Amino acid sequence: MQNPYIPAPVEVVKIVTEVDTKDIKTFRFAFQNKEDEAAFQYLPGQFAELSIFGKGESPIGIASSPTQPGYVEFTVQKAGVVTSALHEMEVGAVMGIRGPLGNSWPIDFLAGKNIVIVGGGFAFTTLRSLINYMIDDRNRSRFGKITVIYGARNPGLLIYKDELAAWAKRDDINLNVTVDKGDADWKGREGFVPTVCREVAPSSENAVTVICGPPVMIRFTLPVFFELGFSKENIITSLEMRMKCGIGKCGRCNVGEKYVCKDGPVFSLAELDKLTKEY
Amino acid sequence: MEKRLIKKETLAGIVGELAGKMRVCAPMKAEDQVLFRVLEAGEKPLVDFANAKNAPKNFFFPRTETLLKFTRTGKGMVRAGEPEEGEKTLLFGVRPCDARSFTLLDMLFDQEKYKDPYYIDKRAKTTIVAIACVHPPYTTCFCTSVGGNPTDSAGVDLLLTDLGNAYLAEFLTPKGEELLAAFGGSPSNAQAEKAKEGIAAKAAAEITSHIPAHEIKPILDTHFEDPFWNTLHQKCLACGTCTYLCPTCHCFDISDEVKRNDGIRIRNWDSCMFPMFTKETSGHNPRSSQKERWRQRVMHKFRYYPDNFNAIACVGCGRCVMACPVNLDIRKIVTDIAKI
Ligand SMILES: Cc1cc2nc3c(=O)[nH]c(=O)nc-3n(C[C@H](O)[C@H](O)[C@H](O)COP(=O)(O)OP(=O)(O)OC[C@H]3O[C@@H](n4cnc5c(N)ncnc54)[C@H](O)[C@@H]3O)c2cc1C
Ligand code: SF4
Ligand code: SF4
Ligand code: FES
Repeated sequence: MQNPYIPAPVEVVKIVTEVDTKDIKTFRFAFQNKEDEAAFQYLPGQFAELSIFGKGESPIGIASSPTQPGYVEFTVQKAGVVTSALHEMEVGAVMGIRGPLGNSWPIDFLAGKNIVIVGGGFAFTTLRSLINYMIDDRNRSRFGKITVIYGARNPGLLIYKDELAAWAKRDDINLNVTVDKGDADWKGREGFVPTVCREVAPSSENAVTVICGPPVMIRFTLPVFFELGFSKENIITSLEMRMKCGIGKCGRCNVGEKYVCKDGPVFSLAELDKLTKEY
Repeated sequence: MEKRLIKKETLAGIVGELAGKMRVCAPMKAEDQVLFRVLEAGEKPLVDFANAKNAPKNFFFPRTETLLKFTRTGKGMVRAGEPEEGEKTLLFGVRPCDARSFTLLDMLFDQEKYKDPYYIDKRAKTTIVAIACVHPPYTTCFCTSVGGNPTDSAGVDLLLTDLGNAYLAEFLTPKGEELLAAFGGSPSNAQAEKAKEGIAAKAAAEITSHIPAHEIKPILDTHFEDPFWNTLHQKCLACGTCTYLCPTCHCFDISDEVKRNDGIRIRNWDSCMFPMFTKETSGHNPRSSQKERWRQRVMHKFRYYPDNFNAIACVGCGRCVMACPVNLDIRKIVTDIAKI
């Protein structure tokens, strides 16, 4: 019997400090065993438990895309015990990954539709995975128009800056990056995500919105999408709850009868409407 | 199914002798309580007792359990194996309500996706010998309201029923039948089996505590928000006793312990009644007061478990009723919910 509590050993092969405040880093891991790598079949939107023996585990969304073989990436904010220990790590260190866990962005449901991606702050991680998945040459034709609206408080807090620059050059993504307040060097858009969504006004015709960000951003952005005609079935988001086991056993991450770790973290607003409001 | 009659005075000795050959866990006196524990070779277990204070789930899902070991290397801590697997065990003297709790825990730990190897290993290696409740031991027993009964055989491999002059031994499963030689006895007869039927009916009738457990699901489905929840929890001390004693509660925490260059990852029982249970690093807590925690406990047992597994996650053992320091009584709560 496979033991779902055993993490696969990985080596840290690359670390990128994403933001000026230095508390958000992207870690690239390579599996030490080929079998573990082969077994780690994931889709954008899934997460894994990052495991540091002696410190514990943290559930973190997978930031890389399965179209990028050979490694997995996670973008982690320094918060408590495990994430701080992770931030101390250097290239060459070994640790563990347990997963992939949870459901994913509903790829089959998204296929054939126009996709609107809305992200705020560093919750952009699994959306980045989805974007890279969709724009991969082998997948691009499966999806319609791709519109991305991504915001951070200031330019120094935008993550994946190199990738944003690369996406901006493509003509098959409508990329809209915004900051609440720019600085002297900032030449891009200024404004809150909900406002920018209203300005960009993506059509709801055959379209799905995938949204991830801080609760206030989501609260003010949803009405904009309702006005644009998006139904609750066509707005998809991801939940966060405190987790331990990640496999629906330890009992702490349920919202109603659903375990966010196992049945989520991805839900449509229509699905969330059916659950208790306890998250 | 093989059925035998076993002389009453021989039972404790049979089990004591088995304890010399394999790991046997059974109810034993511990000061003024009865607790399950591992027997020494030849040690005779209690056969006349009400029920154990602690639920026997501990033998499959220990209060503290090592999941894996790790050790320090130049590149960091690396995994250094798992604990040894469980050994063949006889769990003797289980009451039917507690035996039924194993079938409820199986639904969770032995799900199709994500099997829990620690639980499943110990469960598979354990044979359950239950003693039917000819006279339900407590006024707080309400097994018949939640799908059980005092002579129920769910989750049992060998069921013993006291007929007065002898035990009727029913070897219900292949695991139970492995005990035929050790338990010996004489062949059962129609008279004994008829006597058992009478005893079973009388035992069920002796249960005086009844609650509308099956009626509240539709009410819970529509009353997540209701003034009812506003006052229910007010006396609660958040001590967690109810969940620690409960045979069906399964929540746990995972944490790491390190001593010098070696460490273990362990899981410990946790409780939805504790404020920290759902508290996130940011400080956000989706269940921010005891109100939400009590609601979760009721919802989990009477709404979510039925949703996910089509079964109520309470076996009516009454432990939480007897042990709660402020007399919060799940029976009264369920009864009150039915009146909403
Ligand atoms: C599905 C999911 C995806 C996530 N993705 C990311 C991500 O991409 N990047 C990122 O930086 N953070 C992410 N988080 C949040 C991240 O898990 C917590 O910040 C992290 O667990 C804090 O752990 P710690 O040990 O540093 O903090 P401590 O306060 O020391 O935490 C102790 C333990 O509590 C649990 N815990 C505490 N807070 C949370 C929480 N908010 N969510 C889940 N478990 C928690 C963890 O088991 C943690 O190890 C995600 C959470 C979930 C549920
Ligand atoms: S909820 Fe109370 S009565 Fe029901 S099984 Fe648990 S401890 Fe026993
Ligand atoms: S035993 Fe009673 S006081 Fe303690 S947590 Fe349970 S309900 Fe609250
Ligand atoms: S994290 Fe344990 S049940 Fe979801």
